[in-house]
Amino acid sequence: MSEPDKFRKPVWLDPKQLDTSRPVMPPESQAREFPLQQVREALDDGETADADHAPARKRRGGWRRLFGISLGAVLVSGVGIELYRLLDWSFTTHPLLGGGVSLMLLLLALSGGVQLWRSVKGLRQLSQIERIEADARALLQHQGQGGAGALLRELQRHYRDTPEQQRLDETIRLLDSAYNDSEIVRYLSHHALSDQDARARRCVQRYAVESGVLVALSPWASFDMLLVGWRNLRMLREVASIYGVAPGASVQWVLLKRVLHNLAFAGFSEMAIDAGSAALGSSLTATLSARAGQGLGAGLFTARTGLQAQRLCRPLPLEQVDQSLIKSVAKGIVERLGQSKPAE
Amino acid sequence: MGIGGRLKSWIGDQRVEQLRDRLAELAEQSTEHHLRLAVTGLSQSGKTVFITSLVHHLLHAHRSGSLPFFDVAAGGRIIGSRDLSAQSSNPFPLQQALTGLGQEPPHWPASTRQLSEVRLAIRYRRPPGLRRVLGESATLYLDIIDYPGEWLLDLPMLELGFEQWCENQRRLFEREPRLSVASSWLARVREVDWHASADPALLQELSESFAKLLQVLRSDPYALSLLQPGRCLLPGELVQLFPLVLPTWPAGEIPDGSFLALLKARYERYREQVVRPFYLQHFSRFDRQLVLVDCLKTLNRGEACFTDMQRALNGILQSFNYGRNGFLRRLFKPRIDRVLFASTKADHVTANQHHNLDRFLELMIQDAQRDMGFEGIETRCMAIASLRSTQAAEAQVDGQTLSCLRGWRKDSDEEVALFPGEVPTELPSADDWTQERFRFIDFAPRRLPQHELQPSHHIRLDQLLEYMTGDQFR
Ligand SMILES: Nc1nc2c(ncn2[C@@H]2O[C@H](COP(=O)(O)OP(=O)(O)OP(=O)(O)O)[C@@H](O)[C@H]2O)c(=O)[nH]1
Ligand SMILES: [Mg+2]
Repeated sequence: MSEPDKFRKPVWLDPKQLDTSRPVMPPESQAREFPLQQVREALDDGETADADHAPARKRRGGWRRLFGISLGAVLVSGVGIELYRLLDWSFTTHPLLGGGVSLMLLLLALSGGVQLWRSVKGLRQLSQIERIEADARALLQHQGQGGAGALLRELQRHYRDTPEQQRLDETIRLLDSAYNDSEIVRYLSHHALSDQDARARRCVQRYAVESGVLVALSPWASFDMLLVGWRNLRMLREVASIYGVAPGASVQWVLLKRVLHNLAFAGFSEMAIDAGSAALGSSLTATLSARAGQGLGAGLFTARTGLQAQRLCRPLPLEQVDQSLIKSVAKGIVERLGQSKPAE
Repeated sequence: MGIGGRLKSWIGDQRVEQLRDRLAELAEQSTEHHLRLAVTGLSQSGKTVFITSLVHHLLHAHRSGSLPFFDVAAGGRIIGSRDLSAQSSNPFPLQQALTGLGQEPPHWPASTRQLSEVRLAIRYRRPPGLRRVLGESATLYLDIIDYPGEWLLDLPMLELGFEQWCENQRRLFEREPRLSVASSWLARVREVDWHASADPALLQELSESFAKLLQVLRSDPYALSLLQPGRCLLPGELVQLFPLVLPTWPAGEIPDGSFLALLKARYERYREQVVRPFYLQHFSRFDRQLVLVDCLKTLNRGEACFTDMQRALNGILQSFNYGRNGFLRRLFKPRIDRVLFASTKADHVTANQHHNLDRFLELMIQDAQRDMGFEGIETRCMAIASLRSTQAAEAQVDGQTLSCLRGWRKDSDEEVALFPGEVPTELPSADDWTQERFRFIDFAPRRLPQHELQPSHHIRLDQLLEYMTGDQFR
């Protein structure tokens, strides 16, 4: 038959003739019956999805690198020599002192190692999240089927051995065979992460209201920045751990950098929130003292930082910006200030 | 001290509480809202099954979790739903349909003969946000009617006089397959002198043979859709009406008591006493519209079937009240502001073909969709199955994995596995409409349980609901 390759023909599969069923026509263009025993339940995730693609690491400039390495080498050898001298000195002074010092050094090394390991793990998880999110965004635009397998595996890997694992596995089990790729992403985003979203939201709201109230009530204006910074860092840590990222100093640092970057180059949606919260702020602050107004500003800033952090730590894209959070933060601050005023 | 506190100190605590309760009550009353959903579809397009399944899922939405993409239900905000159809004089036979689908072996509901109504009250909690002020919960009343698809075919007649209608029919009967199937009937009609005084026996004979002709055109292998008057197709309805399919309209005055005068009077009576009341009572006031189309039928049957269904649908959709946007019109007469075109029976194809099915449906309704877009109406295409009757499966063919379906045939009830072919995204060329290319067979239903509904019992019913009604629950 001179069939064009444009389409694939229907195929009858005879349930009873499993063993004898031989392909009569070229497979990609034929109608066919399959023996029932020959077919198996379709898996929800397509196995045909493309392999993982690790993002290429940015290469730094050669000189800079050389500088970094040599600086590191000098520092390490300097510290090493000093430590060796310290040990030497303490042992020659008294064996007991030597024992004490080496114990301390051991503890230092151990805790430092743990910290380092955590940071590295956290950073790896962050980049993993970035990759998963990029994949998910691509799938959201994709109407076909069978491309979501890699995403599901990555997600499962990310949440392995965490309390959220069970929820994720359950959601994946419930995925329907008829969903296309974008439906799978939306389904997971809705149902696997809703718990974490709610917790992150509560966390952001708590910290935002807290820092707002702290700033409004603190008698020393110059500590404001410190206060807000401190609360923000704590919040970043907590949001990260909610989404299964091992919190560590380096994760905090990277997150802070990115959040500030995003806030500085806010897109249109953020602008809209900003305008909204500005209008809201002005209507509320008209009735508040200047100090309370500053508190409100600090609270809203913290809330926005929190939303950004949530977006960065969430493995799947956030569908819509949570406008009501900003409002409820503002309301929370004003209410708390109202309560605490008579006490002042 | 907040406003509430100040108010209380002015007028006393109790008063304020009373006032608040009253306001909440008022808000509740004013926020009960109604949504009339038009379920439009030619006969056998799946209206009755759709309504049954939709109502069944909604009635269990507060605990079953079978609608994961329907936000109110998935978010656990539905408090409960109640079927108020019994208030109507002709309630939708929900129990009957559900019993049929729930027994062993399950069977599809019979073709509809009567108009019937469903009214569903859905009580839901409002999401957190500003509108919470209006009250914690609210109720949405969802109204749907079910009717024989054949009735729909007559709607375009509302705008046509007898002469115009005959002219339209004449053009239809110039094309195959009508031309050859109707040849003897056409010859018979052309023999008659229409100015002569009427002979009841001849009229009777002609309308009976016309009704038979319509039945032939409707059944396999032609499976045409645009068959008017629609009620001629229903058994038991005596409609003595047929178009004058003549090369030219008989010239001259129409004498009283002639064939011509009689036919014309019958046409007008049919239009005014049968079609118009149906339209006015039920069809002129919808808020949202769902158009169910059975695309797979046309793929099985060929190009003539496709173009005929396309013509029928476009004609019918003209009759609805879209976005004529005058202020007064909107106040007094609801208009349709959102339309969803759904290709039903999506479980007859493998899931990787659903996207193609959407594209193919777009081919079918592109004219109507363009007009609606011009009026500023949101439209969308979606492949759905109200009651999924097949299972996705995979088979190894020549070392390749092929997705296929597994289910029970509707006619013989034997279990089959098949890859039914790919849905084209462009209109196939004439010699591509072959039996080898498409084999979308009908399946017997899988049992629909009374409780414990699951997402796997349907395809995209939840997304359909979200699109059609989602904004009502915010
Ligand atoms: N597999 C499958 N078949 C369906 C589905 N919906 C409808 N069908 C088939 O379509 C046939 C007609 O469905 P109905 O709901 O009775 O169609 P209708 O539009 O009410 O037809 P009329 O009452 O004659 O106007 C059924 O008997 C089924 O064979 C579905 O979701 N899946
Ligand atoms: Mg019906």
